[in-house]
Parts: sequence; structure tokens; C-alpha cells
Amino acid sequence: MSAKSKAHEGVIAGPLVGLSSIVAAAHELKSPLALVRQLSLSLESGDLSVSQQKQMLHQISLTAERALRLTSDLTRAARLDDALFELEPINPTQLCEDIVRELTPLFEAHGRRVCLQVRKHPLLLVANRDLLRRIIMNFSDNALHYAKGSDVVEIQIKALNAGQTIRLGVRDYGPALSMDMWKSLQSKLSTAPQPVHARPQSSGLGLLIVSQFADAMQGSIGVTRHSNGATFYVDLHASRQLSWL
Amino acid sequence: MKLPLVLIVEDDTWLAQQQSRVLVAAGFKTVISPHALSAIEAIDDEAPDVILLDVLLTGSTAFALLHELQSYGDTGVIPVILCTNVAADIVLNDVAPYGVKRILDKTTMEPRDVVSAVRSVLV
Repeated sequence: MSAKSKAHEGVIAGPLVGLSSIVAAAHELKSPLALVRQLSLSLESGDLSVSQQKQMLHQISLTAERALRLTSDLTRAARLDDALFELEPINPTQLCEDIVRELTPLFEAHGRRVCLQVRKHPLLLVANRDLLRRIIMNFSDNALHYAKGSDVVEIQIKALNAGQTIRLGVRDYGPALSMDMWKSLQSKLSTAPQPVHARPQSSGLGLLIVSQFADAMQGSIGVTRHSNGATFYVDLHASRQLSWL
Repeated sequence: MKLPLVLIVEDDTWLAQQQSRVLVAAGFKTVISPHALSAIEAIDDEAPDVILLDVLLTGSTAFALLHELQSYGDTGVIPVILCTNVAADIVLNDVAPYGVKRILDKTTMEPRDVVSAVRSVLV
């Protein structure tokens, strides 16, 4: 199956090349770059033990990789309008297992854990593998930042609407969203695409990008508020392949 | 001699560890709080001599914490150093009434600038 993201003509090119998006991108990249700079300057000072040096080098690599993921998502989103991409039946469990494997070193370096809630019954959804992977990676990065202490971040897969919709969610156990922030987020999600502020220090650029990725796959993103955190999710159409068996 | 205690309010774990390492090497004690709520608890429990405060925090901004600190006589006198990526958007005179004595720009500062800043507000 092939699809073109025609539902968003003018939308992606608009926000992602606009001044506000450039400012948002600059804001998002400031934190990792500032951290990398601080760590590098400390390494230059030479008054660190070998184990401290190794730890800092590891942190620099992982921080750079997170920043690069954002730049890669930005360029992918900017080209979304022009690109033909495949929508195919995907086993979300397999995809999420790969993501957990890829993100585990980053989470472990923060003293945290990411895991997948395994389902008994397999599901298939219709998506573009690369875009879906980027969405879950983005949610997971976000959850890593907001998870408290050694709390685990869970990737969840659920079937909704009598199995017609598949929801992939990333549950964090960070601080609860206040009611004001919740209303603001809901309002912005319902009128997306536009920058949405997941939490105060976020420019919302990541959510803007992934909402466009979801739209391109005829899906949608959303957030569920919990007393002890939040679940950011993407809803996509289930594949009917399994029902034919 | 009692070592001066610096409360580091920073939600980036690795940056907080980095600042703590530099301050400890310079002879300070440190406590790290990742957000404003835990910072309030730490202020009550530990009575820090200085607060090194990030502005864009998880849950609420630094300004909510600054307001809270100013509500009480004992916490309102603790010197605060803002350490932020948005230093260019903050004027010291505007935040001085909230106990802010210095502003550090994360994007241009040197690691040991936190030490100089803490020493300068303890004088």
C-alpha cells in the first residue's frame, strides 16, 4: 500500500519552516548542546578520574544521539509532504521490542528502565514503520525526561473500538499534569497541528512533529492524564490481515 | 567547620550531577532537587545557604518556587542564582525582588562559574 500525506498540504511546510518552529527547534537543541559543552569543558580540565571521564563521554554520546534524533525528525517532517511512503501491516510488539532494545542503554545511563507490556494476543496495525518508530521514540524520550527517580517507563499496546483501532502508548510516572496544563494541552491537541506544550519547559516541537507523522498515517496522537504521570499515545488503524486468517 | 550547602534545582540529571561535582570539589555540600515540589521539601529539611535554580522546570516554573520562597521570612532571604538557557530573556533587576542575586547563562558559562557565583552571593 502506498500513500502520500495529502491531507496536510500546506500544513507541514507552514509550521515547520516558520520562524516559530525555528525558534522552537533552537530552544529544544539548547539544552543538549549546553550539557555537551559543560561536560566537554570538564573533560578538558583534566581533573577527573578515569571512570568519571568514561561516564562523561558516555553521557556526551547519548545526549548527542537524542539531539540528532530531533534534527532527523525535523528534516523527515519537512519532507513529509513530498515523500511517498509505504503503509504496511506492522506487528507493533516487534517494533516496540526493537525500540526498547535501542533505548535501554540511554535509560540505564539515567538509572531508569523502559519496558514493553507484553500482550497475549498479537495485533497488526497499518502504519509506516519509520514514522511509527519515530513517534514511539519521541514519546519515550519525553517520558525519560519526566520519569521520577528509578521509575519504569512502559510502552503499552491496546486494541480499541472492537479491535479497529490500535493504541500505542508510552506511560511515564513523572509529576502529574496540573488541571490548567491539562486543559491547555487538550485544547492544543484538538487543534493540532500547531505547537503543543506537553509540559512547561517543552516548546512542544516534538509533539508537533509526531502529530504530523500520525496524521500522515491517518492516525492521531493524544495524552491521558494520571494522578502520577501521563500516557502519550498514538491511535492507528488495525490491519485486517489477521481477521482473514 | 560547617560547609555551605547549595541546593541545586535542576531537572536535567546529568547537568545537576555535573554542577554538584564542581561545587563539591570547591568545598561545598550539595543537594539536588529535580523539580519545584521536591525543592520546597529540601529547603524545609536542609535549610540551604544558596539555591542554584533552573528556570524551566518539570511541573512548574522557577517563578512559582520564587513566589513561594518570598512568602516566608526565613526562606525569602536565601540567595538565589538562576542558571538557565533563557538567561537572555531575564533582566536581573526584574527578578531581584524575588531574591535572585545572579543569573548564569547555561549556554555560555564555564563549569567553574557556578563556584564563583555561589561564593559571590555568600559574601
